[in-house]
Amino acid sequence: MRHSLLAITLLLLSTTTQARSLEQTSNIVVRAFDRTIDFTSDTTTSIRDMKVVIEARDDAASFVASEGAIRGAQLEAALGAIRERLPETREASDQALAEAILAR
Amino acid sequence: MTRLGAGLLGAALLLASSGVPADLRLALYAEGLSEAQRQASQTLLDEARAALPPRLRERLDRTVEVRWSTHLPENGYGRASRPDRLELNARLLPGLANGSAASARTGRPHGTVRRELLATVLHELTHIYDRSRAWTAEQRRLSNRCSQQAGSLGPVGLAERCRGQTTRHFTLSDDPRLLDLAGWQQAVGRRGQRERDNGQVARSPDLYELRNPREFVAVNLEYFLLDPAYACRRPSLYRYFREHFGWAPAARAECPPTYPYLNAGRDFARQPLGQLDPERVYEVDYLFAEANDSWVSRWGHSMLRLVICAPGRPRGPACRLDLDHHLVLSYRAFVGDVQLSSWDGLTGSYPSRLFVLPLNQVIDEYTKVELRGLASVPLRLSDEERRALVERAAEQHWSYDGDYWFLSNNCAVETLKLLRTGTAHDELESLDSIMPNGLLELLVGRGLADRSRLDDPREALRLGYRFDSFRERYQAMFAILRQRLPVPPGSVEDWLTLSAGERRPWLAHADLRASAALLLLEQAAMRRQLLLAQEELKQRYLGHREGRNARPDMARAGDTLNKILASSGFLSRPAELLDGGYGLPQAGEWPRLEAQSTARHRGLRQLNDELDRELRALLEPERLSELQAIEANLRQLGEHLRALHKASDGLQLPGSEAARPVPQR
Repeated sequence: MRHSLLAITLLLLSTTTQARSLEQTSNIVVRAFDRTIDFTSDTTTSIRDMKVVIEARDDAASFVASEGAIRGAQLEAALGAIRERLPETREASDQALAEAILAR
Repeated sequence: MTRLGAGLLGAALLLASSGVPADLRLALYAEGLSEAQRQASQTLLDEARAALPPRLRERLDRTVEVRWSTHLPENGYGRASRPDRLELNARLLPGLANGSAASARTGRPHGTVRRELLATVLHELTHIYDRSRAWTAEQRRLSNRCSQQAGSLGPVGLAERCRGQTTRHFTLSDDPRLLDLAGWQQAVGRRGQRERDNGQVARSPDLYELRNPREFVAVNLEYFLLDPAYACRRPSLYRYFREHFGWAPAARAECPPTYPYLNAGRDFARQPLGQLDPERVYEVDYLFAEANDSWVSRWGHSMLRLVICAPGRPRGPACRLDLDHHLVLSYRAFVGDVQLSSWDGLTGSYPSRLFVLPLNQVIDEYTKVELRGLASVPLRLSDEERRALVERAAEQHWSYDGDYWFLSNNCAVETLKLLRTGTAHDELESLDSIMPNGLLELLVGRGLADRSRLDDPREALRLGYRFDSFRERYQAMFAILRQRLPVPPGSVEDWLTLSAGERRPWLAHADLRASAALLLLEQAAMRRQLLLAQEELKQRYLGHREGRNARPDMARAGDTLNKILASSGFLSRPAELLDGGYGLPQAGEWPRLEAQSTARHRGLRQLNDELDRELRALLEPERLSELQAIEANLRQLGEHLRALHKASDGLQLPGSEAARPVPQR
């Protein structure tokens, strides 16, 4: 095997590549905190906790703030998923649903 | 030539002239063999002959003499010493004759010594066939035309389909298509010249195949002819050989309908082992991350996006919005992190691997963390091409471990190779580009990518052909905020530079629109603080490393980090999880794969939690309190938004309590 993990680790530890391994450190820092911002889960038992709805929150915020001028695909996906799962929401406007996603 | 050989040849000539159809004959040199040895050898040769493709036997219309030789290296099985003679290692003859070879295990995929001997005969006959230039009439015409053209026009003016066809010497092993599939790729910008290295090193049935293309052909034909699972383990090569011979062995295993893959997403709560169903892939997009100012990403990043339909949804345009099922294939330099978002300083050679990532994570990484836009341009592929591309991607995921060079083997080059090998599209054969943006232009220019769906920017954003950078969104949010609240004058940057405490008083006064804008801006502030924290940690870590400021807590975090780096490799080189077997993993390997990936994943999760704690403890107190203050702002905004929503009697999405199944009586 040309690239053993040990070799990679040693490479990262060597002085010439310090900066690179530090980049990795920093990405892990971002990741550690990022999860606290947009925590997502696979449990899709409820509409409110559906992954597609949680992932649409930033798009929903942009949509609501801009009165519909910014309309991203993650919101579009969530609108479709909610209407598919909850037939009673089919009559609701995009605005009403976007607000509901934002306030979940 | 020995006397016996001459006699055999004479007999062969006689046979050929008497109207018997052209066919290969295997003649055992029986001198000095006991009756048992002769019989066992003959049975072996009969089996070998029966296993050969009819086309190979017809084209090798000759007698090949087979001898047991004492001159072979101790560990060698055999060799073709002349175009009409094979030698097998005489050391193995007694075992063959007394039957013990049939049960002697070798620890190699063929299983037993006898199987290995059978494979050896096929292997050596393949070499003879390969050297015999047994081209079809069509192939011969193409080679002739191309070499004439090369003579008159030179390499620059050569037609696309002549690449690699001007100086053919072998039946199979210098066929450009074979070389693509085998892993000796076209070097970029070298007019079809092949790279010397082969990166398809993982899960090889026999590393001898990587020695050169001739051995590759011979080794693979052993498995094509003898292993009923070859069609499932190396499906693209299986199809290549089947097409070449116009025939395939009758014994063929039932292939599983899906390909296993390891999801390298950062969501550690999720089991990384997944199943990719090619029938659920609706389209494949060229996914391009726009450039930014950092020198490593000045030309953008090339990826492929698999538009996968949600379970139960028929393939069709509605699948375009099943975003949480879409996967991204991204060639990245493996430096030990599952989520490389910054490639600063990557100039040398690192393992280049095919990562499979969830689309939503890729969107977040680029648009929110790196503030770069993404364009997703559908490729125009036939159903067959699309299936083959997905299959090829799965093969690469399990076998590829190449070298990443920023200038000559980067993401664009790797993506192009995957497209070329996967689709076998003529138009891609001569395409050369080492820059991701250049590759997109070429794909569009040749009609392989359909950029028309990006023509209307609003629609493109709505339907996920474009994912905009949050840099623009933050500007827009701040403009909205200023319309609605008398916030201090200045730019969005000035607003984000304020402390969380200075921004907090505005939160309570915000109406719905302003609160929505503030939510995104607080997130921007959070990411800004994280970047600063990152920089500080980096400086202190450097200080610690160089001994200026050695600290035990830093050392601990460094240790944990290195453990994570070392143990996350399996996500991009899943072959590590299995031993034995080759190519795509089959049903029998699934239990081990599942157990291994679960165990490794659990370890990784623990390490990651440890590192989270250690890094938080390492942050400067002011930084940590600022981050906590922003977290508090975000919580307050969430509550404020819910209160506003409730006050306006807004629609409530049912929560888990409402969706819980009704208890059975």
